[in-house]
Amino acid sequence: MKKWITMIALVTVVATAAGCAKTTTSSNGNSTESSNASASNDGQTDNASSNSGDGKAVELTFWGDWAGDGQKQFQTMVDAFNKSQDKIHVKYVLQQDLITKFLTAATSGGAPDVLLWDRWRTPLYAPKNVLHPIDDFMAKDGLNKDDFYGEALKELSNSDKLYGLPLTVDARALFYNKKLLADAGVTQPPTTWDELEQAAIKTTKWNGSKLEVAGFSLADNGLFNMYLQQAGGSMLTDDGKKTNFNNEKGLSVLEFWDRMLNQDKVYKVGFEQGLGEGTDAFATGKVAMTYNGPWMLSTYKKYGKDLDFGVVPPPAGPNGDKGGVMGGFGLVIPEASKNQEAAWEFIKWWTANKDNALLWAKTSLNIPGYKPALDDPFFKEDPLWQPFLDTLEFAKTRPAHPGYSVMETEALIPNLQLYQQKKQNAEDTLKKAQQRGDQQLADNEDVK
Amino acid sequence: MSSMGKLNQHQARMAYLFITPTMLLFFAFTIIPVVMALYLSFTNYDVVSRMEFVKLDNYKKLLEDDLFWTTFKNVFFYSVIFVPLNIIISLLLAMLLNFKRFGVKLFRTLNYLPTLTSAVAASTVWIWLLHPEFGLVNNLLSYAGITGPAWLAQTETAMFSIIMVTLWQSVGSNMIIYIAGLQGVPDYLYESAKLDGATAFARFRYITWPQLRPTTFLVSTMAIIGALQLFDQAFVLTQGGPGNVTKTPVYLIYNQGFNQLKMGYASAQAFVLAVAILIFSFINMRINKSEEPIV
Repeated sequence: MKKWITMIALVTVVATAAGCAKTTTSSNGNSTESSNASASNDGQTDNASSNSGDGKAVELTFWGDWAGDGQKQFQTMVDAFNKSQDKIHVKYVLQQDLITKFLTAATSGGAPDVLLWDRWRTPLYAPKNVLHPIDDFMAKDGLNKDDFYGEALKELSNSDKLYGLPLTVDARALFYNKKLLADAGVTQPPTTWDELEQAAIKTTKWNGSKLEVAGFSLADNGLFNMYLQQAGGSMLTDDGKKTNFNNEKGLSVLEFWDRMLNQDKVYKVGFEQGLGEGTDAFATGKVAMTYNGPWMLSTYKKYGKDLDFGVVPPPAGPNGDKGGVMGGFGLVIPEASKNQEAAWEFIKWWTANKDNALLWAKTSLNIPGYKPALDDPFFKEDPLWQPFLDTLEFAKTRPAHPGYSVMETEALIPNLQLYQQKKQNAEDTLKKAQQRGDQQLADNEDVK
Repeated sequence: MSSMGKLNQHQARMAYLFITPTMLLFFAFTIIPVVMALYLSFTNYDVVSRMEFVKLDNYKKLLEDDLFWTTFKNVFFYSVIFVPLNIIISLLLAMLLNFKRFGVKLFRTLNYLPTLTSAVAASTVWIWLLHPEFGLVNNLLSYAGITGPAWLAQTETAMFSIIMVTLWQSVGSNMIIYIAGLQGVPDYLYESAKLDGATAFARFRYITWPQLRPTTFLVSTMAIIGALQLFDQAFVLTQGGPGNVTKTPVYLIYNQGFNQLKMGYASAQAFVLAVAILIFSFINMRINKSEEPIV
């Protein structure tokens, strides 16, 4: 733990050592080379179930970092795929430190065939040629790109090449506690910033200097992007090379936050810090309204009658602009995979088939990236899904600049934190964030 | 050399044989990585696709990197408070528990327990204890009529919270080292000092403290190295926030290397950090040396 200096270098050693002796990595991905004869030794037990004919089912390794429930959900899909045919056999391997493991594997062999991919990473990794483009596969199988969320595909693309298909799409929407709003006399969930502010003021409860119920959660500064869209702005300039928030639009977001936090006092900095699932402030009625994604639905539904909540799309800004940020995962094929054709079959089966995408949605309570699956009553008849689907209609993905996330986490958010604590005024905040942000974008532009 | 008998030669050979495995491991896992990291700090290595020699570019960039120097300022601030407090508290605890009385061992164990917990797990618990509204710390303060701050979220208190948590976790092991040191101080020194009429404070100042010099050197050096390499607690408690006030060099190096794939630049940062640690350990050594033991 204390030897970070050597740790940095250790990665290299592992990389080179693994390159010399490929077998050392085989404990992680021992099925990658199973198309070779060597598989007949260790593949016997795995293959036995799906093997009826010549005993040469292709073994695929699928890496992801979803553990616990997520792992079970993946296993359900993998099992269903393995049962559906007998030519390909997939195995899910949980990798806690997914990206680091993948990078070492990509350079030293032992790479997986299918990889769970947090989509925003694409612009940083695709230029390094570690992912295999799937355009040819798409064309060969005649898949229609319009069946998928366009923004999600855009996020999986880099210089006109597509690198994967979207597994999930998500966007934040406004969760509100029906009981708290009703008690405070708010009959309709907010649809604009003003209504949001008023509802937050009414639902906030202070007991002396102690905040008992926060009307609205202002914990996540990372949502600046969404607020900025609602104010009619955008994070980067049209050419995607510079920040674009140091203007009156960025200012209106900061003023809105300041009003809520310091004048209306509907929230307190640090109020939700460290509250995990068991003590989630919204679930326990300590926050009346909060932005969150569809991934929280299953958690909040567990509370049943104790938590009567609703969801609405993000309220619109002063000029009626709507804004949402789309995120989610995709499935990609590493360039180093030896079974790219088979990997594509698996990805196609999962993400581009109505029934399977729906099975995935029901298993994991995620919104699949494949639009035809959304016509199912499972989505259409559930009032909690509709607001998310509505939000996804106008939500935009994060800008595809390899330095974007660095800019956000290192230039923007620290300055926003200082602003929220009144350590600097709005103009300085935006100016500093812009200067540092532009520099970060320039520094990280070239990733080749 | 001629005086070295056959037996000695045999022993020497066996000695080398015995230390060979350790030396090989040390070479493979410490020396080689350090040398490679030094080389990498002159390249634009990104783990995947490139590794070109860029001469001093990384180090030039370092000089202009405000954030890097901010993180240094943060850990210096941290060290200046953490290291002396660490020594004082663990020495006081050691002196308090350096008696042969019934129950002392229990208290030693209790004081040592926090050291045994994992830094990440302990920090997670501390997040709850320090919660502004529902945390134990602020609840206790509220009985005294004080409205506690949002310890981890406010710029004024975030670093102090980290100092508090790391102190809680590290004084235990230093206390054990000091107890061992205290038990190595010969009794006759105290006896003769008492005969000469030395006060308790004088006995501490002129016997205990000088006699503990090697112990203090060990404890302070480890504390300085640990302080400059602060990572776990800052990572879990505050994620470097708010507004970068708790971001540390190791945090930055980790981020640069593993999240942004700038291994070359991260290596350069790591080397600057290593040099800084070397310098401060050296200063520490000189300060300790200047205080020569009386006996």
